[in-house]
Amino acid sequence: MESLEMTTADFGISDEDRNGVTVLNLRGEIDVSTAPELRQRLTALAEDHQPLVVANLTQVTFVDSTALGVLVSAVKQFRSDGGDLRLVVTQPHITKVLEVTGLNSVFGVFASTAEAVAG
Amino acid sequence: MSAVGGSNNETGPDLAEHIELSMPALPELLVLARMTAATVASRADFGYDQVEDLRLAIDELCLRLVGAGKEGRLHIDYALRAEFVEIVVTYHSEDNVTRGYVPESAADDLGGGGVVNELSGAILDALVDEHGIDDVSIPPRAWLKVRRRGPDVD
Repeated sequence: MESLEMTTADFGISDEDRNGVTVLNLRGEIDVSTAPELRQRLTALAEDHQPLVVANLTQVTFVDSTALGVLVSAVKQFRSDGGDLRLVVTQPHITKVLEVTGLNSVFGVFASTAEAVAG
Repeated sequence: MSAVGGSNNETGPDLAEHIELSMPALPELLVLARMTAATVASRADFGYDQVEDLRLAIDELCLRLVGAGKEGRLHIDYALRAEFVEIVVTYHSEDNVTRGYVPESAADDLGGGGVVNELSGAILDALVDEHGIDDVSIPPRAWLKVRRRGPDVD
């Protein structure tokens, strides 16, 4: 079990402030077991009325439908309050998942954190 | 192995190479199903993109049967056939031994289960050649098939 914990422990979230914009740097695999942690973090930011949050997925190695569901739920929450949630994606397989689900037209998707912050 | 969901058109003896995984039906263990799928995909000579596709597809397939906090086991049969890779997931619990039962989707526990199910369906439609779920069978089962096309040929 120890090796499994090492594998799943790969997921993590760290925050940084870029010119007043909160950037969530995500890493590892976001699936049904780790998505709740992401949902909790995004919900807290939405309830804090953050106008713009950037989710940096460049170090994310896997996303499934539960991860996407959390992001969709969050972007609705931010936009209902006049804010937005933007994504930074460079991994081709994550870009592909966004494309096949049509979410590339729902989110603002950027190639770098700087671009996402600048909009 | 018998025909799955009417999708197996092969006849005669089963010459497939089977790799089987049995594990508690817990969300935190889906990583095992993905790791095994990656190994199977490599054995099928899939390219990197196809390996990633199969990792995601098996995750989505298992999500249909995994319930957070529910007791039960998943049995996953990965079959490497001449023309395709076929994966069958069955959910076993004391309940469904006698009356057929699929746990609530783990995605429902995250809220917005309907959206997640819609996304999951779109992903599977895009990544595999066939997929389906039979939630009234005993045990409940979900399956997928991917044709072996060679490395990263789309």
